[in-house]
Amino acid sequence: MKKIIFITLSLLLSLSFLNCEKDDICADRNANTPRVIVEFYDVVNTSTLKNVTNLRVKEVGTDEGVVFNATLASDNAARYLSNGNKIEIPLKTFDTTSEFEFLFNHGDASENIDVIRFNYATSNVFISRACGYKAIFQLDPTTPIMILPDAANWIQNIVVSQPNIENENEVHVKIYF
Amino acid sequence: MKMRYMLRFIFSIVLLCFLIIGNAQRKDTTKLVYPERYGLRVGVDLHRLTKSLYDSNYKGLEVVADYRLTRRYYIAGEIGNEEKTVDDDRLNFTTKGTYFKVGFDYNSFENWLDMENMIYVGMRYGVSSFSQNLNLYKIYDQTNYYGETIITSGEKFNGLNASWVEVIGGVKAELLNNLYLGFSLRLNYLVSNKNPKNFENLYIPGFNRNYDGKFGAGLNYTISYFIPIYKKNKETRSALLN
Repeated sequence: MKKIIFITLSLLLSLSFLNCEKDDICADRNANTPRVIVEFYDVVNTSTLKNVTNLRVKEVGTDEGVVFNATLASDNAARYLSNGNKIEIPLKTFDTTSEFEFLFNHGDASENIDVIRFNYATSNVFISRACGYKAIFQLDPTTPIMILPDAANWIQNIVVSQPNIENENEVHVKIYF
Repeated sequence: MKMRYMLRFIFSIVLLCFLIIGNAQRKDTTKLVYPERYGLRVGVDLHRLTKSLYDSNYKGLEVVADYRLTRRYYIAGEIGNEEKTVDDDRLNFTTKGTYFKVGFDYNSFENWLDMENMIYVGMRYGVSSFSQNLNLYKIYDQTNYYGETIITSGEKFNGLNASWVEVIGGVKAELLNNLYLGFSLRLNYLVSNKNPKNFENLYIPGFNRNYDGKFGAGLNYTISYFIPIYKKNKETRSALLN
């Protein structure tokens, strides 16, 4: 009898070794590291939104464009082109500056490249076990964004409207051209 | 998955009950008065002990004790120390700490003759003092333009604590003279929890893994030794089982 109890308990003991761990999936909409929301305005009528034409944005030193049309295939050039008045730009979470080339009229003879540098501080915010952390950014209060001057800048002016980049619900930066 | 294991445990408990009862009924129903022994039982949790051997991410020890207060009630408690490294998909951290649980067990099992087995329910109040070491984490960035950023943090959060209530069901069977083998299943409800800043207590020593909710679960398999202190005659209520 006691043997049976012993065997039962030993059996249970060995069963406990089989641990079951479920995989959590990150489903929090606020979990994503926010991108900079940039809107384009007319330089003359400063309150009027203005569409860009075939704008491609890529990190300086690489040839990988920022995706603007995620529904298109990755070999389609239009995936990386914007013709609207609002774009989202990802900042480096592991650095405090990010430099981008803004290629206006990309693919055309009149292509104009302006280089823009974002200066910022990052902080990492805990979300959950499944999501881990996200980064948020605070644009530098003195020189948040620089346009590197060249012979003919297409961008005339940049205004920061929200220096704390914590979500993608509001416009952070306005570009006038 | 969890449910399946729980069902398996419940099934095992029920099975064990039948085995003990079955055994009891085969015995002769003489109305002898047996003295009941009272004393202190101390033991160690085999589950945590063996897990420390095969799981390189875990080190733990739990000492258990109970003292027979009345015929059915036992004062019971556990004291333990755990060090666990959790390697999740998004983060990796190490929790170190000590816990203490105190409460009672109620033996619902009607023993025959001089048998001293237990099928019991109980409650505990547990407190734990611990530290969290955030080893590394990943930044959640769906755009993935720059690839994944992994931060080797190493940040340590000291002076954390939590407390909880446990409801217990379990059995203890006398294996050899004075030597008991037991297991218990515990459902925990978190009462207080001091979280670190910009992190969370995802594991609490003694309470176990902590998800978003306040509930947790635990178990132990104990081997313990009974130190008899005094004897009292058993009331002749044992005849009721006929």
